[in-house]
Formats: sequence, structure tokens, C-alpha cells
Amino acid sequence: MSLITSKKYLMIFKNTWDEYSAYRINFVFWRVRVVLRFLITYFLWSAIYSSQQNYFGYNRQSMLSYVLLTYLVSNFVFATRTQDIGSEINEGRLTNYLLRPINYFTGLIARDISDKFINFIFTVVEFVFLLNIFQPPIFFQTNFNIVVFSIIGFLGSIVIYFYISILLGFIGFWSAEIWGIRFIFMVLLDFFAGTLFPIDILPAIVTKILLFTPFPYMFYFPIKIYLGRLSLNEIILGFGVLCTWIFLLKSLVMIVWNKGLRIYSAEGR
Amino acid sequence: MLIHYIRIWLRLTLSSFQVALISRFGAVLFTVAKLLRFGFFLSIVYLVMNKTNTLAGYTLSQSIVFFLTYNVIDTFTQLLFRDVYRFRQKVINGDFDLILIKPMSPLFRVLLGGADPMDLIVLIPYVCILMFFLFQTNTSVGLFAIYILLLTNAFIISTAFHITVLALGILTTEIDHTIMIYRDITSMARFPIDIYQEPIRALITFIIPIGIMMTFPVKALFGLLSLPLLLIALGLGLGVIGLSLLFWQIALTKYTSASS
Repeated sequence: MSLITSKKYLMIFKNTWDEYSAYRINFVFWRVRVVLRFLITYFLWSAIYSSQQNYFGYNRQSMLSYVLLTYLVSNFVFATRTQDIGSEINEGRLTNYLLRPINYFTGLIARDISDKFINFIFTVVEFVFLLNIFQPPIFFQTNFNIVVFSIIGFLGSIVIYFYISILLGFIGFWSAEIWGIRFIFMVLLDFFAGTLFPIDILPAIVTKILLFTPFPYMFYFPIKIYLGRLSLNEIILGFGVLCTWIFLLKSLVMIVWNKGLRIYSAEGR
Repeated sequence: MLIHYIRIWLRLTLSSFQVALISRFGAVLFTVAKLLRFGFFLSIVYLVMNKTNTLAGYTLSQSIVFFLTYNVIDTFTQLLFRDVYRFRQKVINGDFDLILIKPMSPLFRVLLGGADPMDLIVLIPYVCILMFFLFQTNTSVGLFAIYILLLTNAFIISTAFHITVLALGILTTEIDHTIMIYRDITSMARFPIDIYQEPIRALITFIIPIGIMMTFPVKALFGLLSLPLLLIALGLGLGVIGLSLLFWQIALTKYTSASS
């Protein structure tokens, strides 16, 4: 990528940052919501494990560590601007991007990095604050290899969510009903990706089936690696499924994008 | 006067239903998502209770009554107050001016501007399932009457929250998430608030009274609510609705109609 090209995407990064700066209170309230949602999950599991017993194969420390890590990971994975794609297509604003001398997907990545960067800053501050307030029992992984595996899994989570979110946005090429499907996806994500609880507390057969879907690889998989609760075989198999999904989703995104552009009529412009 | 406003509300609700029916597919998707979420959370309650046997001393069927009561209150208020979610846009684009010049209470119009048909569809099964569990509960007619009284009180407190959100919408147009923060906080009461430790429990009982809204009715039903707490709950309900109306009046005087 040349220097001029890099500057273009840096400008997109900066513009996204500026958009957040323009609506500061709105953003602060968004962060309040994020913290609240975490606290609700944390308090619930904290209450269930108040008697220090083991349930679902987790003790208090491992379950609360899981919930805390979910907060960190979900803040980073969920921070995206790809949810705007559907309305951009429906309102014809996609044309603005098509006319510019930029690669649409690289532009999306630049917007997403900016979004993740600003959310990351807030998440770290909130995380340190919450740790000091509640002083929860946290599990620190000391095995370097496992930490590296979990970071790779975490990067895979970002990519997989990015592609799925883009695909949901591309529904806008064919339909104005973009939010209903996204709402269903968010509900499924809450329960099958492991944001509210580790999916292995579900019946074994349900967990096994879910592990072949992309959902667990957005949150559950990297956190389970970090907690050291997956064997090497399970990690290798998990990475195999993760890579397969990334390949399939990337191919699907390009197919849908090309088909969608053919019928895109810039309606609303 | 009341009949006049009931007629207006019916007219607004009819329009709201017609708007929803324009995009039937979207309405179906949202309804499916809501029912899925309900089913999943119910499964979680069952799953947790299956392992722990009791949650803060409550049995499985009692915990389900807590969960269902939360859903009925939450859905019923969404059904009635759906227009509150659209209020910020009305202030930003100046449509609120058009409401102010109409010969009706602007608060009535922005608070009860048409019921949401999707919430009505999901409310019916919620009420049926709740009734099923209520019939299995060993309770008296008197306790059931207090349960209904506290459900009404919950509705009054919820109305006060929604009026406060509307008033905030006038005072600062930057806030887009206030109503969702309210929803997030109330979701803490999916489970009985007794599971939370102090000072969180006191905070969500007396400062942000979601415990009084969602947990107190069920505790009364099981005969676990003392008379002083019942009186505090009813007094707090009246207090917050009075304060919210006062806040609305103050906010209204600050409206500048700057965007129209």
C-alpha cells in the first residue's frame, strides 16, 4: 500500500474518530450500557456461585474469569461500524463510497479499526475500574503458548464477526428489512456464542453441534483457550473449524457483494 | 375527557398497527426474535435451577414466576410506551412542534402515541404461561390481590421512568441511549433481586426501584413481603410519578424548538 493510499485510509480512521467526538454524551451513554450489561451478567453468576460450589464444571474463579474475559473480548469483537452497511445501501449512501478512489472493504476495515481503538481505550479504563471495585478472583494464564493460541483465536473472532456483520448488512441490496434479521442474529449471538455463559454448560449434544457453527468462535473459543480448558487436539480442531468458516464467509461476502452491486440502484439518491 | 383520550389512543394504535403491517416480514422477524430470546432465557432459568436447586432460596417454579412477571411488566410497558423510543427524532427534526400545537396533552401524545402490535403478539403467550404457573402456586385471594396491586404500582413506576426519559429528551438531544439504559437496568430483575449482594440490592430497590417494580409483586404473592415494605412500595410509586410529572413540566418550559 503506497503512502498516499495509506493516508486515505488514515483519514477514514480519523473521520470515524471525529464522528464519535461529535456525539460525546451519546458515546458515554453507550459505554454506560456496555458496563451495565456486563455487571448484570457478573452479578448473576456471582450470586449463583456465592456458596463457592462447583456447577457445570466451573468453580467461582473460572466462571467469573470467563465473564470478565467475555467483557474484554466482546467489547473488541462487537466494536464495528459494519452494522451501518444495510442502511447505507437502503438510503443510497453506498454510492458515496463507490464513487471515491478507495477500496470499499479496506475503508470498512479502517472504520472498524477506529471504532475498536476508541472502544478499547474505554474498555481498558472501565476494566481497571471494575477490577478495583469488585476485586474478583481472576485466573491469569502463565503458559506462553496458550496465551499465543488465545490471541490468535481472538483475532479469528474479530474476522469472523466482521464478515458475518457485513453479510447481514448486504441483505440491504435485496430488502429493507435489515434490522429484524440482525436482531435475531444478536439474540442467537447472546446464547450460542458464549457472551452470557460458556456454551459447555448446555447439554453436551447441543454444545457439540454448536462447535460446528461460527457462533462459539466469536467469544467462547478464544476464552476457553486462555482459561486452559481445551486440550491441544480440541484447539487444533477448533482452529480448523474457525479457518474453514473464515474462508467460507469471505468467499460468500465477495459473491454477495458482486451480485448485490449488479442490482444496486442507489435508491434514495 | 377520558373517553376523548381513549378514542385518540385507539386511533393512534390503529395507525401504529397499520404501519407495522406495511412491512409484515419485518414484524414477523422482530416477533420471532423476541420469542426466541424469551425461550432462551427461560431455558437458562431451568438450566441454572436444575443444577443449583434453589436461587436465593426460591424454587424452580417460583423463579419462573419471577421471570414471567418481569417479562409481562416489561412487554406491557413496551406495548404502551413504544413511541417514547421515537421521541428524540421528533425533537431533532422539529416534529414535536406539531404535537405541541394540537389540542391535546403533548405528554399523552408522546408517551402513548400508539401501541406496538409486535409486543401485543408476544404478550399474549407470556400472560398465558404466567397464569399457568400462578394457578400452581399455593397462595390466597388476598395475596393475589396484593400481587395485582403491586403490578399496577410497577406500571406507575415504569410510566414515571418513561416520562423522565421524555423530559431528558427535551433537555438534551444528544442522549440516544437513555431508554435502553432503563431497559438494561430493569433486566437485572429477570431473576429475583435477592440474588444480588448489598449495596447493589438496596440500590436497585430504593434508588432505582426496579426491585419494587419486578420482584416485590411476586414476593407479595408468596407471602414474603412485609406490610412496611408494601407501604413503602406504594408510597414510592406515587412519589416517583409526581416527581416525573414535575420534571416533564420543567423540561417543557426549556424547549426551544431550535430544530424546526
